[in-house]
Amino acid sequence: MNGLTVLVQKEWREHTRNFKMLWIPLVFIIFGIMEPVTNHFLPEIMKSVGNMPEGAEFLWPELKGEEIFLSLLGQYQTIGILVIILAFMGTISGERKNGTATLLYVRPMSFLNYFLSKWIVVNGIVLGSVWLGFMAAWYYIEILFNHVDAGEIVAFVATYSLWLVFVVTVVLALSAWLPTGGAAGLAILITLVYQVIDSLIGTYWTVSPWKLSVYASYWFKADSELTNLWMSSGLTVILIVILIVFGVVMSKRNAAKTTV
Amino acid sequence: MSELANLPWNLIMPLIVLQFILMIVALVDVIRHKRTNGPFIMWIFIIVLGNLVGSILYFIFGRRQE
Amino acid sequence: MTTLLQVDNLTKKYVNNNVVDAVSFELEEHTATALIGPNGAGKTTTLSMLAGLVSATSGALQFQGDAKQDIRSIIGFLPQYPKFFPWLSALEFTEMAARLSGVETKQATMDAKKTLEFVGLGDAVNKKTGTFSGGMKQRLGLAQAIVHKPKLLLLDEPVSALDPVGRRQVMDLLKELQQKTTILYSTHILNDAEEMTDQLLFLRQGKLVEHGSLDEVRTRYAEPRIVIEFEGEQELRRFTEVTKWQMTSKGLIVSIDIRSEKVEMSSVLSVLSVGKFLVRKVEWQTASLEDIFMKVAVV
Repeated sequence: MNGLTVLVQKEWREHTRNFKMLWIPLVFIIFGIMEPVTNHFLPEIMKSVGNMPEGAEFLWPELKGEEIFLSLLGQYQTIGILVIILAFMGTISGERKNGTATLLYVRPMSFLNYFLSKWIVVNGIVLGSVWLGFMAAWYYIEILFNHVDAGEIVAFVATYSLWLVFVVTVVLALSAWLPTGGAAGLAILITLVYQVIDSLIGTYWTVSPWKLSVYASYWFKADSELTNLWMSSGLTVILIVILIVFGVVMSKRNAAKTTV
Repeated sequence: MSELANLPWNLIMPLIVLQFILMIVALVDVIRHKRTNGPFIMWIFIIVLGNLVGSILYFIFGRRQE
Repeated sequence: MTTLLQVDNLTKKYVNNNVVDAVSFELEEHTATALIGPNGAGKTTTLSMLAGLVSATSGALQFQGDAKQDIRSIIGFLPQYPKFFPWLSALEFTEMAARLSGVETKQATMDAKKTLEFVGLGDAVNKKTGTFSGGMKQRLGLAQAIVHKPKLLLLDEPVSALDPVGRRQVMDLLKELQQKTTILYSTHILNDAEEMTDQLLFLRQGKLVEHGSLDEVRTRYAEPRIVIEFEGEQELRRFTEVTKWQMTSKGLIVSIDIRSEKVEMSSVLSVLSVGKFLVRKVEWQTASLEDIFMKVAVV
C-alpha cells in the first residue's frame, strides 16, 4: 500500500509541475462556458456583424438547456478525447523511452501499484476537468436557457464519466504496451474512429461502451428504457478491469525495454 | 454594432479571463523553460496568435520535459 | 567469508546472439568486484539481469542461498547514465527511492538528507534534478542507490563520465562504502579497477574469460622483466655485446625476461656498474593490468 501512495504522490507532483493539472481543467471549463454562450448569442452576433443579404432571415432553432449539455458532450467526444489521448499517450512509454523509469523498475515496487498510480491520477485529472466543465456549462445554462433537473445532470455526467474512465484506461494500457506514437494512433482508432463505426453499423448490437455517450442522454428523456445503459455500463466496467490487467502485465513485460 | 454593446459582458468576461490565464501560463512556461520542440520564438507566436488552440498545441507538442 | 550472491550460468540470448554467455561467479560479502571488458562485452546486460531489469534466458541467481528472493529488494543500482524526473528535487527523488524500497516515510526523509550530504549534494537538496550537471547526476545516482542501505551495490561505469576531480571524489566515496556493503561495478578504465577490487571478472563477447583476485590474475599473466633505459644508442649496443642475456630492445630501452634467463636484479646492477654504463633508469616490471587486459579481453 505504501508503494501505491509514493507512486501516486510522484504522479501528482509530475502533473502539477508540468501544468497538466492546470491547463487541462481550463480547456474543459472554457469549452463548458463557450457552448452555452455561443449557442445563445450566435443568432444575435450573426445578425449584427454577419454580412447577410438584405431581407435574408435565418431561423435559429430554439435550443433547450438539455440540448446544450448534449452538444457540449459532442465537443468533449471529439476535441476533449483528442486532448486526453495526446496529453497522456506517453504516460508509461515516455518514461521507458527517456530512461526515467529505470530507477523505479529496479526497486521492489509492484507493477500493479505502478499502473494503478497512473490510472488514479490521470482519471482524477480527466474526471475533475470534465466535471468542472459541465458545472460551468450548467451555471450558464441556468442563466441563459432553462432549468435542468440536478438529478438528471448528475446521472448524465456519471454515465459519461464511466466512458471517460474507459478511454483513459485504453490510453494507459496502450502506453504500457506500445511506444508513444503507436499508443496514440491505436488509441485514436479505438476511441474516436471506432466511435463513428459503432454509430454507423452498430445498430445490430446495443451493449457497447461506445454507446454510453448516447445512452447518457437518455437521462434527460422521461421514461427511457435504461436496460441497455446498465448492460453497457456493466460491460464497460468488465473491460476496464481487463484493460488494467493487460496494462499491468505489459508494464512489467516491457520493463526490460527501458533505456539503461 | 449597437447589439454588441447589449451583450451581457459579465457573462462573457469569465471566458475571456480564463483564455487569458491559459495563454499567460503557457507564455510564462515557454519563457522560463526555453526548452521547446522547435524554435521557442515560434511557440510564442503560436500561443499569442493561436489563442486557445495555440496554448493547447504548445502544452501538447511544444513543451519538452528535459 | 560468506557468499552473498551466487551466479550460475547466467545467459542472455537476443535472437541467436548470446549477449551474455553462461557466466558464473560468486560475490563474497563486503568485497568489491570489478567487471572489466571492452565495450559490447555484455557488462551492462549482466548488471541489468542482476538488477532484475532484464530477465535471463537461462541460469540462476541465488542470494544468500535463496533463489526465490526478489533481488530488487536487496540491491542498489546505478545505471551508466542515470535519468531523473527533472521536476523532482534531489531530496524528493531520493526520498521516493527510499520509500519505494520499503523505508518508512519519516526515516526516508532523514536518510535521504544524510545520504545527499554524504555524496556531496548537501547544498543542492532542494534543487530540481533537471538543472543538475553530469557530475551532480552521478552523485545523485549514487545517493539513490545507497539510500536504503542495500546489501549489494551494482554500479555500471560509475566514474567513466566524470572529470578527473569528480572521478577522484566518487572513487573515494565508493571506497568508503566498500567497508559497509558489497560492490559489483563495471568499468573499462583499468586504473579504477586496480584501485578498488578484491575480485576481477573479465568479460569478452559475453563470456567470462578470466577471473580471480588482482594478485592471482597478475601472477597468471606476469611477465617479470628488468627494464633498462640507456643514455644513448652506443651504450645500449655495448651492453648487448657484454651480456649474453636474451632481451628485446626498443629505442633506448632494453627489457630482459627474468623468468627464462633467471636473472637477478643485483647481477644486472653489477654488470652496469662494472662496465660504467650511462643509464637513465633501471626498473623491475611485471604485466600491468592494461597488458593483461589486452591479452585477455582483446582477441
